[in-house]
Amino acid sequence: MPGKNILEMRGITIEFPGVKALDGVDFSLREGEIHSLLGENGAGKSTLIKCINGVNRKDSGTILLDGHEINPSGPNEAMTLGISTVFQEVNLCPNLSVAENIFVGRQPMKRGQIDWSEINRRAEELMSRFHLDIDVTRPLSYYSTAVQQMTAIARAVDVQAKILILDEPTSSLDENEVQLLFSVMRQLRDSGMGIIFITHFLDQIYAVSDRMTILRNGHLVGTYNIDELGKFELVTKMVGKDMDVIFSLKRANVPPDAPVMLKAEHIGDGSRIDDMSLTLRKGELVGFAGLLGSGRTETAEMLFGATRAVHGEIFVDGEKVSIRTPFDAIQAEEAFCPEDRKRDGIIGDLSIRENIMLAVQSRKGFMHPMTKQEQTELADKYIALLGIATPDCEKKAGELSGGNQQKVILARWMAASPKVLILDEPTRGIDIGAKAEIQRLMLEMCGEGVSVIFISSELDEIIRCSNRIVIMRDRAKVAEVDGASCTQQDILRIIAEGAA
Amino acid sequence: MAGKRFDIAGLMQSKVTWAVIAEALILLVCFMIRPDFFSISYQPSTGMLYGSLIDIVNRSAEITIISMGMTLVIALGGTDLSVGALVAVAGAIALKFLRWDVLTYTTPGDYTVYPYILVIAVPLVVCALMGLFNGFLVAKGGIQPIIATLILMVCGRGVAQILTDGKQFTTGYSPFRVIGQGSFLCLPMPIIITVIVVVAVALFTRRTAFGAFVESVGVNPSASRLSGIKAGSVILLVFMITGLLSGIAGLIYSSRIMSNDSNNAGLNFEMDAILAVVIGGTNMAGGKFSLAGTVVGSLIIRTIVTFVYYFGIVAEATMAFKALIIAVVIVLQSEPVRKYFARRAAMKGGVRA
Repeated sequence: MPGKNILEMRGITIEFPGVKALDGVDFSLREGEIHSLLGENGAGKSTLIKCINGVNRKDSGTILLDGHEINPSGPNEAMTLGISTVFQEVNLCPNLSVAENIFVGRQPMKRGQIDWSEINRRAEELMSRFHLDIDVTRPLSYYSTAVQQMTAIARAVDVQAKILILDEPTSSLDENEVQLLFSVMRQLRDSGMGIIFITHFLDQIYAVSDRMTILRNGHLVGTYNIDELGKFELVTKMVGKDMDVIFSLKRANVPPDAPVMLKAEHIGDGSRIDDMSLTLRKGELVGFAGLLGSGRTETAEMLFGATRAVHGEIFVDGEKVSIRTPFDAIQAEEAFCPEDRKRDGIIGDLSIRENIMLAVQSRKGFMHPMTKQEQTELADKYIALLGIATPDCEKKAGELSGGNQQKVILARWMAASPKVLILDEPTRGIDIGAKAEIQRLMLEMCGEGVSVIFISSELDEIIRCSNRIVIMRDRAKVAEVDGASCTQQDILRIIAEGAA
Repeated sequence: MAGKRFDIAGLMQSKVTWAVIAEALILLVCFMIRPDFFSISYQPSTGMLYGSLIDIVNRSAEITIISMGMTLVIALGGTDLSVGALVAVAGAIALKFLRWDVLTYTTPGDYTVYPYILVIAVPLVVCALMGLFNGFLVAKGGIQPIIATLILMVCGRGVAQILTDGKQFTTGYSPFRVIGQGSFLCLPMPIIITVIVVVAVALFTRRTAFGAFVESVGVNPSASRLSGIKAGSVILLVFMITGLLSGIAGLIYSSRIMSNDSNNAGLNFEMDAILAVVIGGTNMAGGKFSLAGTVVGSLIIRTIVTFVYYFGIVAEATMAFKALIIAVVIVLQSEPVRKYFARRAAMKGGVRA
């Protein structure tokens, strides 16, 4: 039963130098609903929630909370008003215990001292509400990302929140963890809380939300009940143009006699992966499917020398190569876009130009520098080619949106013209338009004869793009299937049952 | 026109700009108190230029040279605490080779026991190796730079003591005197050495991709490694360079006093060098560095000290006075202040346009 509006925003406009980030946007949130906020990167989702929690100041418009106008000056004030936000990157202290994280800054006191037993008892109570039976005195870093996320939510919820904002909470969770999160969200909804949910996963929107609001380029497209709008219409509304592109992608055409570009025989790192073999033909795209932790990333890291293979052999283009470090892999003309873009990919404080030229330059060695002009030409070429949204190549890479950062990393490796390109979750956490573009680029590179390994948790994009699919489970390859003839059900069955 | 206005706002954002402004203000105060502060005179008898400004640059030589290396270390996100101790080590080794056995060569004079080339080369090689040792602990041992370099900071002076049997040697060897007290092109030798070092480091970092690699490793070591940069080698090289530069500074220092002083040579140099780098606008968290900014930073520190001497402020108050001015400089450079002035500059530009 839809409740009354607890939050109403009318005619919100926020201007940043040069751009209107939000232009007259209306938004309302009811008691006891999960409301998805949708839009491409840069559409204004983050700006809108930052306006609610007081990080950004609005230039005009009104925000009503329970009918009273509010004007929070920062997250703390918003929090006392009952608006809690869990950000995309978990803002907690990994070295403090789960309980400490939940209560940091507002520890219950007893006779002038922190009441630890009370903290631990209440933390346990909160976590058990989420069906998590864990030792809350252990440091947060001991637990998985999902538990960390729950901790952040527990912290947000415990401050008597009326409104909970979840910004991309699922981008680093696996399927089971997502389900756990959803059950917590539903539970909170049923207790009357209004939840604003931001995600890039369309399936999740349909799985959990009641209503959705779509933004595009700072404008409101509309607010819909979840059963009012199909997936295709939704994407079309988000992007503002027909999404035929994504459905017209064709997998690479690899002749059966194409030469083998990469061959790994019985490689293992001595701890996580024991025995992995793989061949990759010229121009072929091989998808890696499997759950998080199934060994996909570990295999990729070994192939690139990010972790050392202690046994087994790797051949690139027919030649046996010794890959002990990423430097060796780059010399062998491999390239690798790592899973954690922020930690291992983008060099945030350096410019787009410097980020793009890095792999080319490191292959040349520092004694053979590229001139600034060469770097700029290189960067400009890829900015145009990949459609990176930036005024110029001197902007700091860290200031770009997720999708554009991913394009910068792709550009870094495309510039190095590799023979083998390994992409670990290149489409995670980026919007659907950019996703389609990255898939298109990937396939274009296959067309030019680059061999690609594509790791993704989203089976539909793996099936759409791959020639062959390697299915991993429990840190080993369990099956290899043909990309053209298999279905999601086939793959899920193999992942679940462990055999072809 | 609009572009130019924007540039002013950009300049106001830059820490280097504020360092230059601070230096100019300090000099202006000097000039107002003593109009002859800026006068430079030529002394035909020694063939050298004299004046407060020359003196500031001359006396800042050691810190400027060391802080060139420190800039790179800080750009990597670290600090090197051992530089002051290495100054003492370099001096001790040089004097050891000049005098060797004081019981045999009892009186100091215009001689050297071992060839002059060893007097110069051995301290530099030893300091470079000590820098390499620091780098090894950091790059291969994964020890935090501040801890790794603490080792040599503490034991470096001990090594210097052992080398000279705890004694303070003096020498009168004239080629050695040239390093700290000689002149070239009418300028004191330390200034010439400083210019060479600054130019060499600038060319090495900016005319090769080394500077970009240092910045990249400083911002994100993991991503840099995965982009093929040999982060370990970069770290080793940076610490080795810093060690070598500390050695050069050590030779200048001991040539000025024509002696070794294991207790006081290079004392607190690490703090001055770090300060010079920070005033120069390089972030302690690592990343983008500015060698020009560091030079200005070093000059500011020395200008303050000269100011104190010149205007007869009591010696006891020197440190407090120095701290006071540095506090003002750092506040001027702080984010809110820079943003405030940048905003004002931008607004003015807008109104006029």
